[in-house]
Amino acid sequence: MLKEFVEKKHTIFVDECKDWQEAIRTCVKPLLADGTVTAQYPEDIIDNVGKYGPYFVLIPGVAMPHAQEGGGKVFKTTISFMKTQKPVQFDPDDPDSYADLFFTLASCNHDEHLEHMAALMEVLQNEDLLEDLHQVTCDQDLLKLADQYGL
Amino acid sequence: MSASILCCCANGSGTSLMMAMTLEKVVKAQGYKVTKTHHCSLSEGKNSSMGYDIVLCPQNFTNMFDMAAKKGVKIIGMRNVMSAKEMTEKLENCGVDLK
Repeated sequence: MLKEFVEKKHTIFVDECKDWQEAIRTCVKPLLADGTVTAQYPEDIIDNVGKYGPYFVLIPGVAMPHAQEGGGKVFKTTISFMKTQKPVQFDPDDPDSYADLFFTLASCNHDEHLEHMAALMEVLQNEDLLEDLHQVTCDQDLLKLADQYGL
Repeated sequence: MSASILCCCANGSGTSLMMAMTLEKVVKAQGYKVTKTHHCSLSEGKNSSMGYDIVLCPQNFTNMFDMAAKKGVKIIGMRNVMSAKEMTEKLENCGVDLK
């Protein structure tokens, strides 16, 4: 999965984002660049946060932004990776609601999506790997971890 | 007794799917008797939740299921949807016999 992020150019590394809206628009950029999603997709995600809150912050430090499956705005099934140096705060009233690791989901094929999600869950449940992921600053770092953990 | 369990999140494709995968692990590990599990979006789940014994959802969504809760459906809010430990504890204490 980590190697795939690099191979598909689905990685982005930034110092900081001025707010969570900018973070959402930024983490979707690699998916926009190769036509996986349209420009409407990040706006849908932002609308969702407005409606439901940042429920996709899975654990402190890790976000999994996504909007509805398919819907004519998603043309490939994939996951994109973003690392911010400075964590992005979502809900100002919830100190746990921040992320510096973003796994942005796009899905138009349910079976393929299921496979990706199982792989992502394996990554997120590996505490050592997660700790190392919080330190990455470039594609080379990701590839190193991919080799180290065989993922 | 056996139970039916619904996993619900805003879109039905990310968080609820992770919950469903966590649930699968928990059910296997604990040997729970579960007749039916399903994961879906809030808009679908609001209506269909009445047909389940238990609804699992992210913590901040629990109040969306007040109607189902009134009808006796157990609503469980998850802090970490990937935590098998949290899910096991909450299922054990929800008042539905799963063994």
